[in-house]
Amino acid sequence: MKPPPFRYSAPTTVSDAVALLVEHADDDPRVLAGGQSLVPLMNFRLAQPGHLIDLRRVTGLDTLRLEDDVLVIGAMVRQSTAERSPDVALAAPLLAEALGHVAHPPIRHSGTVVGSIAHADPAAELPAVALAADAEMVATGPGGARRIPAAEFFLGPFTTALEPDEILTEVRFPPFPGGHAFVEFARTHGNFAIVGVAALVALAGGEVTRAAVAVSGMGPTPLRLTAAEEALVGRAPGAAAIEAAVDAGTAGLAPAGDLHAGAETRIDIARACLRRGIEGALARALDRR
Amino acid sequence: MTIIERRDVPPARTHGPRRWVGQSIRRVEDPKFLRGRGGYIADLVRPGMLHAAVLRSPYPHARIVSIDTTAAEAMPGVYAVVTGAQAAELTDPLPDFGPDPAKHTWRCLAVDKVRYVGEGVVVVVADDRYLAEDALALIEVEYDPLPAVVDPVRALDAGAPLVHEALGANLAYDRTFDFGDVDADFAEADLVVRDRLRWHRSGGQPLETVGAIADFDPSTGQLTAHTNSLSFTSYLFMAAATLRIPANKLDIRQVPAGGSFGSKLFVTKPLVIAGMCSRIVGRPVVFLEDRVDNISNCDHHGSDRVYDVELAVMRDGTLRGLRIDTIDDYGAYIQFGVGHHGNALAQVTGPYTIGSVRYRVRAALTNKNQQGAYRGFGSEVNNWMLEQMVDKAARELRMDPVEIRRRNFIQPAQFPYFIPTGNAYDSGDYEAVLERALELGEYDRWRAEQARAREEGRYLGIGLITAQERSVFSATEFWFWFDEPGAPVTSMPESVTLNVDATGGITATLYSCAFWGNSPETMVAQLVAEEFDCEPHDVSIVYHGSQGGLPATGPGGSRTTVMLAGAVEGASAKIKAKARRAASELLEVDPDDLEWTEGGFQVRGVPDRRKSLGDIAIALHLFKHTFPEDIESGLEESKVFDHPWTTMPSADRSDLGVFYPFMGHACHVPVVEVDVATGEVRILAYAAVHDCGTLVNPRSLAGHIVGGTAQGIGTALYEEFVYDDHGQLVTSSFLDYTIPSAMEVPELRIDHVETPSPYTPHGIKGGGEGGRMMAPAALNVAVNDALAPLGVRVTELPMTPDRLRAAIRAAEGAPPG
Repeated sequence: MKPPPFRYSAPTTVSDAVALLVEHADDDPRVLAGGQSLVPLMNFRLAQPGHLIDLRRVTGLDTLRLEDDVLVIGAMVRQSTAERSPDVALAAPLLAEALGHVAHPPIRHSGTVVGSIAHADPAAELPAVALAADAEMVATGPGGARRIPAAEFFLGPFTTALEPDEILTEVRFPPFPGGHAFVEFARTHGNFAIVGVAALVALAGGEVTRAAVAVSGMGPTPLRLTAAEEALVGRAPGAAAIEAAVDAGTAGLAPAGDLHAGAETRIDIARACLRRGIEGALARALDRR
Repeated sequence: MTIIERRDVPPARTHGPRRWVGQSIRRVEDPKFLRGRGGYIADLVRPGMLHAAVLRSPYPHARIVSIDTTAAEAMPGVYAVVTGAQAAELTDPLPDFGPDPAKHTWRCLAVDKVRYVGEGVVVVVADDRYLAEDALALIEVEYDPLPAVVDPVRALDAGAPLVHEALGANLAYDRTFDFGDVDADFAEADLVVRDRLRWHRSGGQPLETVGAIADFDPSTGQLTAHTNSLSFTSYLFMAAATLRIPANKLDIRQVPAGGSFGSKLFVTKPLVIAGMCSRIVGRPVVFLEDRVDNISNCDHHGSDRVYDVELAVMRDGTLRGLRIDTIDDYGAYIQFGVGHHGNALAQVTGPYTIGSVRYRVRAALTNKNQQGAYRGFGSEVNNWMLEQMVDKAARELRMDPVEIRRRNFIQPAQFPYFIPTGNAYDSGDYEAVLERALELGEYDRWRAEQARAREEGRYLGIGLITAQERSVFSATEFWFWFDEPGAPVTSMPESVTLNVDATGGITATLYSCAFWGNSPETMVAQLVAEEFDCEPHDVSIVYHGSQGGLPATGPGGSRTTVMLAGAVEGASAKIKAKARRAASELLEVDPDDLEWTEGGFQVRGVPDRRKSLGDIAIALHLFKHTFPEDIESGLEESKVFDHPWTTMPSADRSDLGVFYPFMGHACHVPVVEVDVATGEVRILAYAAVHDCGTLVNPRSLAGHIVGGTAQGIGTALYEEFVYDDHGQLVTSSFLDYTIPSAMEVPELRIDHVETPSPYTPHGIKGGGEGGRMMAPAALNVAVNDALAPLGVRVTELPMTPDRLRAAIRAAEGAPPG
């Protein structure tokens, strides 16, 4: 369980890092942040990058700040840092709650928020959070930076809209005035979840005015459950609306079964998580008023 | 019912007051491990040491057409590349205690064909493990895939692909045993409770996997090996034979196991691979399994059984007879035969007065890694099976699950009690254990809580079970399967040498037991302290390598403490006999006028006329001329302690004799909540009361109970080596082989009842496996109790969310009944 040989660079600027990606394009280069997903894959020889470009020494990537109401997280912000950040708790409490479900504390001390999103594991928590929160991805390439909406970012398992010469340098979480909840189901604490649900709802005048719901583990990418959102908006928060949202949200899902849950069980669990996620978000939204 | 005359019940002992045995002392082993000075295989670096890595088969079943190692051999940093065919020229088959080993020959690397995913095909020796794995990637093996045999029941079908052509079938063993009058018990029964039960395979997960560092010295022909799997020490001559070196040129040095749980029991394959490679390259070679090696190729997967069971019961709840028909999936080889079922037969009827048993066992060979040992060695599966049946009987009779158990208990006055198979239970007080467990587990309070939760739509379940915890195996359990065994039965001895130096300091030498997670050093220190009135932590404990060592067997079958106690007792008696004689010379009194008290011999009734052990020792070491001619210098004695209570089976095997006589008992009471929406099981409370005789160190025993219960929770809810329908292993790392962590294992409430064995030193019974022997049964009963309102009964472990949801969906879809 040892990786094959690879080359390694540790640039100090984003432009140098991008230049290295371009320079070693033929050598299957990979960007290394916290290494909590990539390095195990290398040890199993499932990933065999020829060149690792380590972002640890790149200045400016550990930024974690509020720009107006938008939470900006740089590529080297560790998950544990974000988990404990008052800014994250205030501006993106959904993210803060989800981080508590990511693996175990020692892994979160190394793993990065942005790295997990860029890795795009369909079972992971943070891509689903980014999708529900309508986060913006900042991709930096040879031509500079561009922004990609989360809805256009996740293309398939471990596949994103990033070009081979681009680095995901920032993720921007816009504010969501409402209630949030992140609920997941895993075989054991800290293991990959079978299903995760990220839910955001806003209430006004006794009815749901806005809802954003995403689910992980139910397809090749995290999925935005727009049918569930539509079933909620305009209705009074209550059991009937929740059940309607659960039915609508899971109606079109066709997950692949795996070792830990067959397709039918996966839908059962998704229904339970969706119900609990929406209930939780609604309860917080009610508290908030 | 036939009454069998019982001979040879050992004389009952009386147990005196104790000073150290029974005290919770700090473990002697802890400081070195807490300081990182335990010296695991990965910590040991020999000068010039090279690293071996093994190419694993990606196929469950395939012919090896060709192997091209040219590129690997040419790689810089590579010293040797050995294929299975070449290894077969250099080594003999691995030691194998199974039936007719020549028909399923087992070697350190596969020859001609591979029989499971992960089987070793080629070994590479290189400067480091990275380079060795790089070289593995350069080896080209052409396979001709064959259809795989995966399901143990279908494996026995005519026309199933053969795992071993020489065997002519996949049935390695098939025999039916009748104990007592089974037909009469079933004919007279008011009710026969039937079920089909399925227990899937899991295994012990050591922190450090199996490894060996072998160092062959061509100038002497000596092979010195450090390995963490030293056990069955008396059988190491078999490993020497495999390596084709004289047994007196093999020295195995003990290394702490980093966890075994059975999974390091007599593991010789890494030793043979490392030894063979060291001999080729003339330098020390380490082979340490990585996690994938261990999961896929450790030869120690646990039991994998299908049961068809019938239990004959009377309307008043009396349990009369059992008919058991089990098929056990042994995987591709069968190194220990069906000894696992000997374990089951040792306590097949549990704590109950069940009078007859029919036991059919069929061993199926399939394209999987083979079975070995896992905490319980098959008895835990029997406990689970029996408790499911008793629980089902209670439900069918609408009886209280506590009451049906209580009604069938063997009573204290009935010991020694002989169960239908012939095994003896030395002692017990099952009612006392049950009462304490009901109290500790707050059984009545939880029943009320369960009713309250039901009204809220929550599903709580209480899993009370009462089951046996056999200890101190006799080798007959590997032996009585055959009408004409190849050799007489062994006594599985264990040895200790005690040395009292000139200052009176005591050193105990052990011959087998490296640290397995058990506490042999603490046990011996306490037992020596008990004998000599010294501080346990002042006793020095050392290990003797296998070369020139005394007979020893090592851990297994919860035998270590009892066997070491016997050896310490015997060696101490010899030391004291010599010391008494020496003291009588020094004090000029008759030896019979001396008594041992407070660490020395004194003249009876005259406390100021005494010699301490130190006084005696310095005289014996340095002043030989003080003594008569026949007293030799020094003060060192050894005891080889043989199994204390083994009797022979009858020729027709209707009576298997006494082979596992020191019988512990436990009652576990978990409370669970099942989330019926997701199939998740949460443990709300867990109480465990054990009786394994006299406690030696309650603190280390509690560790055994907690650890074993955690593993039992894994078996019940999380752990399974899954092979898919094609024979592919899909749980080759901890990503998919889920093990419970501190987050899943609840705080246990533990207590003990002490019913001393009349037949062992101090009344000790073994207790190393009890947690895992109880928890799977208890949790299954608990989940079934929780889901009973839905009409769901789970008969398959582990109880994964997928299996629970499927059962709940089926019940929801079923017409109301």
